[in-house]
Amino acid sequence: MKPEADQILMFSGLKLAAEYAPQIPTQYGQGMAQVVAALMFMSAQEYDRAADIRVSENIDIRALFKLLGPQIADANLRRDLETAAAAREDSLRISALNASNEYLRKVFIRLHTYLDETDADTKPVWDVLKAMAARRTLTLPG
Amino acid sequence: MSDDLTERLEAYLSNVMGIPDLEVANLSRIPGGASRETYRFRARYNRGGTEIERGLILRRDQTASLIETDRATEFRAYRAFHALGLPVPEPIALEEGSEALDRPFFVMEEIENCQVGSILSSDPYGPLREKIGRQFFANLGRIARADVDEIGLGDLEGERDPTKCWLHEVDRWEKVIDEDEREPQPIARAALRWLRRNRPPPAPKISVVHGDYRTGNFLYDADGNMRAILDWEMAHLGNPLEDLGWAIDPLWSHGDPSRPAGTIPREEALSIWQKESGIRLDTAALAWWEIFASLKGLAIWISAAREYADGRNTDPVNAFSGWYCLTFHNKILADRLGAA
Repeated sequence: MKPEADQILMFSGLKLAAEYAPQIPTQYGQGMAQVVAALMFMSAQEYDRAADIRVSENIDIRALFKLLGPQIADANLRRDLETAAAAREDSLRISALNASNEYLRKVFIRLHTYLDETDADTKPVWDVLKAMAARRTLTLPG
Repeated sequence: MSDDLTERLEAYLSNVMGIPDLEVANLSRIPGGASRETYRFRARYNRGGTEIERGLILRRDQTASLIETDRATEFRAYRAFHALGLPVPEPIALEEGSEALDRPFFVMEEIENCQVGSILSSDPYGPLREKIGRQFFANLGRIARADVDEIGLGDLEGERDPTKCWLHEVDRWEKVIDEDEREPQPIARAALRWLRRNRPPPAPKISVVHGDYRTGNFLYDADGNMRAILDWEMAHLGNPLEDLGWAIDPLWSHGDPSRPAGTIPREEALSIWQKESGIRLDTAALAWWEIFASLKGLAIWISAAREYADGRNTDPVNAFSGWYCLTFHNKILADRLGAA
């Protein structure tokens, strides 16, 4: 589609912030319109990257499970890591990617808790968390 | 604004202030936090033959609130710190029933001809930033210095044992995350474990903790005078470093963490706070409270996201907090704890 949804959101947000919001008669309405414009800028960023963020995050988490799984003494956790590492998404819809991401995050938290409690090296876990956080960071127009 | 609300507010204030001819005019909603609806209005009345017109603020509970907060606590905090001489609006009336305006509320003085800094702005204070910053950290120090019993707030919610107040707060915010998270939060969970494993030293004293002392929660005038500290709804007893850690959190630094609150250099800010509070700063303890601040932020943003996503409170501020602020604090915590 031309124009793409991210461009529509960005230009509409700019119009709202710069042209329409100042014409709203109440301070409350103006303030809320500016927040809505900020949400439109954020949604514009997310449009292009949303699937990539989730796919990349799921790939990283599964790779971590493959790396650390064999070292885990807890048999239940080791088995769940193997299962989660082997699973795959059957759709690129955001709702489907979110569902598998939530499942992976639950197992991830169990793994991290186990490593903390056994005083194991957590650097590989933190490297994944830092990458996850960096991918999802949003920027607002100056 | 609804004439009905105007008339009901007029009737209420006439009764509690004992002024039969009191008139409410120009009632209009203004931005003012996610836990209360905030309205500005004019109150006109005659007292002793003198015509008086006064700007007042109505803060009414939302139908669904971001974080459950006690309006009586907020009202009492306004009263105590106004009396102490801090720039805090004078509280006028507290109504905890729902008969008058459908929901509980309180009324306070409006501080006029002022503005509030927006966290969306990269430079909210312009050439006034250093003047504002010095007052911002001095006033926070004065809050920390206040004796909680002398100002009548010794019974606020919180923990008075200096060795346990950190745990009280960690438990409190973990409970919020447990109740409100819609998706697993690995960084918040890791931060909670870190905070419990790396317990901080005892509090240097027990103070009133404002709970949300930051950009956006104070008013300043055109000359850079800080005129009103607002939003005391999360006030509680605890370690004064909790407020300091929150005030210098990078989320409120407008893109330059070396200048907390977007104002003065960090070392100057901490020096002013120490001087005004009378508390010698333990930098290791402050580092713990800075991690806590970002975790507390995550808990609040997780709640905001829940309110919005469940459709209970679709205020766009909740969507912004639950998305932008959540991703911001996830990155801060991952970078800080991941570097340890």
